[in-house]
Amino acid sequence: MNVEVTGVTRRFGRTQAVAGVDLQAGPGVLGLLGPNGAGKTSLLRMLATVIPPSGGSLRLLGRDPRGYAQRRQVRRRLGYLPQSLGYYPGFTVAEFVEYFALLKEMPPATVPRAVAAAVESTGLGDKARAKLRTLSGGMLRRAGIAQAIVNEPDLLLLDEPTAGLDPEQRVAFRALLRDLGQSATVIVSTHLVEDVGAACSEVALMDAGRIVFQGTPDELTARAEGTDAAGDAPLERGYSAVLAAARATAGARS
Amino acid sequence: MTAATASAAAPRAWRVRPAAGPARLLRIELRRSPMLWLLPVLAVLFYFSTYRPAMDNPPFWNIRGSMVQSNTMLVFAPLLAGAGAWVGSREGRRGMADLIGVTAVPRWAGQLATWAAATIWAEALYLACVAVLYGVTARQGAWGGPLWWPVAVGTAIVAASCAIGFAAGARLPGRFTAGLAALVVFLALAGGAFAIQDNATYAQIWPLNVQGPFPADSYGIFYPYLTDLAVAQLMFLAGLAAAALGATGLPAAAGSRWLRGAAAVVAVAGLAAVGTATALAGTARVEAHGIVIPALHDAASDRPTAYTPVCGGGAVPVCLQPAYRAYLPDVTGALGPMLRQLAGLPGAAVRATQVAVTSVQSTRENGIGFGGPVIAGRPPVLYLPLSGLTLPGEGNAPAAQFISNLREQYGPMIVNELVGLPAGPGPGTGVTSVNGVVGQGHQAQFAIADALDQVLNLNVSLPPGHTVLAGAGGNGTSAGGTGAGTSAGSRTGAPGSRPDAGRSAGGASPAPAELSAAVGRFEALTAAARHAWLAAHLAALRAGRVTLSEIP
Repeated sequence: MNVEVTGVTRRFGRTQAVAGVDLQAGPGVLGLLGPNGAGKTSLLRMLATVIPPSGGSLRLLGRDPRGYAQRRQVRRRLGYLPQSLGYYPGFTVAEFVEYFALLKEMPPATVPRAVAAAVESTGLGDKARAKLRTLSGGMLRRAGIAQAIVNEPDLLLLDEPTAGLDPEQRVAFRALLRDLGQSATVIVSTHLVEDVGAACSEVALMDAGRIVFQGTPDELTARAEGTDAAGDAPLERGYSAVLAAARATAGARS
Repeated sequence: MTAATASAAAPRAWRVRPAAGPARLLRIELRRSPMLWLLPVLAVLFYFSTYRPAMDNPPFWNIRGSMVQSNTMLVFAPLLAGAGAWVGSREGRRGMADLIGVTAVPRWAGQLATWAAATIWAEALYLACVAVLYGVTARQGAWGGPLWWPVAVGTAIVAASCAIGFAAGARLPGRFTAGLAALVVFLALAGGAFAIQDNATYAQIWPLNVQGPFPADSYGIFYPYLTDLAVAQLMFLAGLAAAALGATGLPAAAGSRWLRGAAAVVAVAGLAAVGTATALAGTARVEAHGIVIPALHDAASDRPTAYTPVCGGGAVPVCLQPAYRAYLPDVTGALGPMLRQLAGLPGAAVRATQVAVTSVQSTRENGIGFGGPVIAGRPPVLYLPLSGLTLPGEGNAPAAQFISNLREQYGPMIVNELVGLPAGPGPGTGVTSVNGVVGQGHQAQFAIADALDQVLNLNVSLPPGHTVLAGAGGNGTSAGGTGAGTSAGSRTGAPGSRPDAGRSAGGASPAPAELSAAVGRFEALTAAARHAWLAAHLAALRAGRVTLSEIP
């Protein structure tokens, strides 16, 4: 398993963002669904080693990221796209991607080819020499994806990767995700259930800091059967049904 | 977007070139450093702060060298600190902290690359500016060679300013950090200037301080450039830079425990260097040709610089240090006629030779005394300091002004030396008068000196109330003159002299009329008669054995 999460919690002051998550993930694409404030981004930031958990344990790529040396090894094989992507406006797309390739300590000899591949993969080949300040929001998002995948990561964490992409690009991105998921563990946090249906082999649904469902998209869809859950698509109805059931259970407990 | 693999990607013109990782990282930072935007501004500021003022000064390496340290850095350092802060706060301002924080390269290493890129550009511009100024100075035929110690200190100021600003920006990222960093560095430099003015010894470490309050020719021309202070300043600035950069490596996110430990060691070592350098500056003392720090001093640098003087012809040859070669005609023109008339008299100079302005630590506040012309030795030689005067071309001063100043300021002093009038009464006044200082035994000396001033046209154009100070015109501190001072204009109130000067000669004795009469009689003599009388009586006159009535 590339990701082994056991009882992980995270508090920000008095706010419990993640309240005991257990999760295991191997190669493939895992969609992380949930409403706003469910704790998806906090969980992803912990998996990305941005912040440490307040409690519980994490093992990423077979290593414990609490120690600096192991954390560094994880980071070499990690790709991360944060929800809010910062960038240096004066960098070109190629420089931006290369910059992160170097920061990820890729062997220098492999960097040029890897940069080229990442930029082409995200459809930015024609914009490789364009300054980031000249790009649209969708293109910036693709540049962010390019930097995340430039090191061909074993663990790829994407927070709302399709935000700002046009439909054509989203279709292409889903294909890219499926391709990457063949060898790596890809965890995609998203609000868009159609992305999950099209690209993910597995889905986890978070609510109130907990994972209330983990299974395949088909299993999530099946949860809507026999309920009057709202939604335009089967997966959406499954999503609504699981959430409603989880909240009912939580309400009954309280 | 396609699911292309690395191998499928076609080569492109924009494809990045392979290079070693850190070198490539630095190359990207160099290409995209915000410091690039500041370079044209710095170049313009260099022109106005240093180049133009330098061109208004004589082409002396020591002057140009001190300017690239003090003038340039006064404007560069605050701006570089601001730019450094802007660069250092980049991650925070751009919301990149998460993204960069999860990369494998320790954050501190990445920050150092960013700082290094900014600093390299700033250093490159500074050195280019210095190269231009030094190149022009060389083309102007400056004597000797360029001074590199001020340039070394300048580069250290550049690095330290960038580091201080960078550290501030990295620790406190925000839009206003850059402006605040620039302001703080500017105020620190201004504070140093005030501390120097207050003569605090520790303040000698102030990075814009070249050789304390010395006039230009005290170091680098007549004597070697003393490196003591520059070495201490380099230590101080390197310590500041190390402390600032080390501080950026202390946060937990900066890297491993080992790396943060190394950063702490660097920071502590930097602070230790700052403290040591400041303590060394505290032991500094002002000596004859620069600032001496005993622990750093090389006694070999106390020996005067060897040179072959350039000399003009005439009855009394005038010899100058070769750095002043261009001014030889003016000096000869100013003093030659006077020296010719005095030539052959017992005790009159047979030669005039330029010397450095004498500098001494006359007080514990590092007071500097500027010497005036002195006749000494056997055969008598007129030792002539020039650095206290405004040279031709300095501040657009014409040669005529230099000649006039030389005659009017130094001429009476030379006459004083000849007739044996004593030096000024003490530091800070530089004034002598018949009543105030000199006893009645010297009345004849005053009368003769005044008459000679008149016939040699040495005091015809001095403004009313003007008082000649020994070495006047130097970049002054205290003027504890060692040369003979004199009230300007007539010493005696003789015909043609100013009323106030006449009054100063009145009082107890002698009567102004008596003095004026003596002056008038001596002035009325022919040149040959004056010369003959002086040749016969100069020794007695100097000894105070000649009375007014004995003056022909």
